[in-house]
Amino acid sequence: MRRWRLTGGQIALLIVLSFLLLWEATVRLLGVPVYLLPAPSRILRTLFEHPALYAQASLLTLGEAFAGLLIGLLAGVMIAALLTLLPGLEEGVMTLAILLKSTPLVAIAPLLTIWLGFGVLPKILITALLTFFPVLVNVLSGLQKAERHHLELFHSWHASRGEVFRHLRAPNALPYLFAALKISAPLALIGAVVAEWTGASGGLGRVMWLAYTNLNLPFLFAAIFILAAAGMLLYRLTVWLERRVIFWQSHPEA
Amino acid sequence: MNRIPAFSLILVLILLVSACTAAAPPPTPTTSGPLTLTFMAGYKPQANLPFVGAYVAKEKGFFEREGLDVTIEHSAGQGEHLQLLTAGKVQVTTQDAAVLLQRRADPGLPLVSIALIGQRGQQAYAALASSGLQTPRDWEGRTVGYKGTPPPDLFALLKAAGADAEKISLVNVGFDPRILTEGKVDVYPVFKSNEPYLIRSWGYELTLWDAADYGVPTLGLTYVTTESILQEQPEALRRFLKAALEGIRYAEQNPDEAVEIVLKYTGPQADPQHMRYMLESELRDAKSATTEQYGYGWQTLEQWSALAEMLVQAGIIPSIDVEKAFGNRILEEIIVIP
Repeated sequence: MRRWRLTGGQIALLIVLSFLLLWEATVRLLGVPVYLLPAPSRILRTLFEHPALYAQASLLTLGEAFAGLLIGLLAGVMIAALLTLLPGLEEGVMTLAILLKSTPLVAIAPLLTIWLGFGVLPKILITALLTFFPVLVNVLSGLQKAERHHLELFHSWHASRGEVFRHLRAPNALPYLFAALKISAPLALIGAVVAEWTGASGGLGRVMWLAYTNLNLPFLFAAIFILAAAGMLLYRLTVWLERRVIFWQSHPEA
Repeated sequence: MNRIPAFSLILVLILLVSACTAAAPPPTPTTSGPLTLTFMAGYKPQANLPFVGAYVAKEKGFFEREGLDVTIEHSAGQGEHLQLLTAGKVQVTTQDAAVLLQRRADPGLPLVSIALIGQRGQQAYAALASSGLQTPRDWEGRTVGYKGTPPPDLFALLKAAGADAEKISLVNVGFDPRILTEGKVDVYPVFKSNEPYLIRSWGYELTLWDAADYGVPTLGLTYVTTESILQEQPEALRRFLKAALEGIRYAEQNPDEAVEIVLKYTGPQADPQHMRYMLESELRDAKSATTEQYGYGWQTLEQWSALAEMLVQAGIIPSIDVEKAFGNRILEEIIVIP
């Protein structure tokens, strides 16, 4: 006898579909007006009625998010490496990083426009500022948390500081880097959208802002759907990459 | 893993993205030949009359005919257009006359209105017709919403209508007319040319009160620049204003075409009929006894003084030199009497 066995992906799909169905049914049964909450069917129709508009906006926003994430990632990893090799700098640099992290970026977005113009540069910078902190904190702990007996072993081999970093600390930090990426990748999307929301001539953030100020909710939610899908894809991509890169760790869910 | 290709890929990506932004040189003012100017609409793209003037002038080639290359930008409406104007990144923007006076008083921005497009204020107060409220006196015991800070004409309106402000509860509600239709507030301030259309399109009847009807001096949107831009780039401003006012007159004569032009800027999120409503409503408020005589945008010391006096009495600004806040100098050079 054959048993029905669902894979993880199928279960996920089922859950999402039931959620959408429940949403659709609630809106229809209660007669919720479209300016309060549009039904998923209406949202998807809007999405498919303007494929070029959404494709263009998504491409711009994803490009900004990706570029910002890369810069944030590189900056976070480089600063973490620097702080590991020169531990004396840690307190000063971390204080500065926390100050930067605590700045509400929405408030300084217009200043970035004054300095960097109306183009995509300020959006990339905001995204980079938003994503670099989780990378810095995680990678720094990874680099610093090499196990004592490993360190002793390396010392007994007379390994130089650079060799310890390269062969012990860096591989040790990789799982931390991926944990950070899982936080930072979706953050990058939010960063790009928020940056566009505060003034841009294109992108999903602008589409959403225009839709919201016109109270055109199907348009707004269509953009949210795209962002949600993109966030999920990015997350899956990170997980996939993690398995390829950190092949020595076991993956119970694989 | 091979590191070099991965790293160079990242580099190439960063270079590609930054290459896309390297363009857009800052406008360099000269005294002869084609000039450049950046106009920033003070809010999102929509059919506010000063925005329409610029859109039409751009799309119909009026700017080009004047030898002016205009870049149109939009503000998210958080005041960054004034910041960019005073930083010199933008040469002309739009601003409500009352807020212009407030920003001149504090923090002392050197703003100058070069044309007063809205001869009456943009705001009114709305209640659902089903609430049965007839006059502002009926607001006593009710909840009145406001956006950010209570509008200065609110207290003047209450006083003029004989209502007791102490008996009204004021709450900050932000921009969202759904607050009114969902019954969270009884009275909600609206932009006359905007939310009434939306709310009515949802099937609600509205009662509107306009402070101007109670004799409260109110003024609408201006084309605004700064004292130093007025000094240094009068020719670019003259060309801009001439073409933009022509754009407004063109929109008045050809409203269908004007709405189509507006939609190029708003994208499909906007409702064409909503934009038409906004355009017609703002065209009505752009006319006054003054503009009958001198054309769109004309402004007088009496208008500005009355508004400033109201703001002083409401305790919103200290008394300021109103004459510096506006100037017809540019308008005088291009005057078109209807």
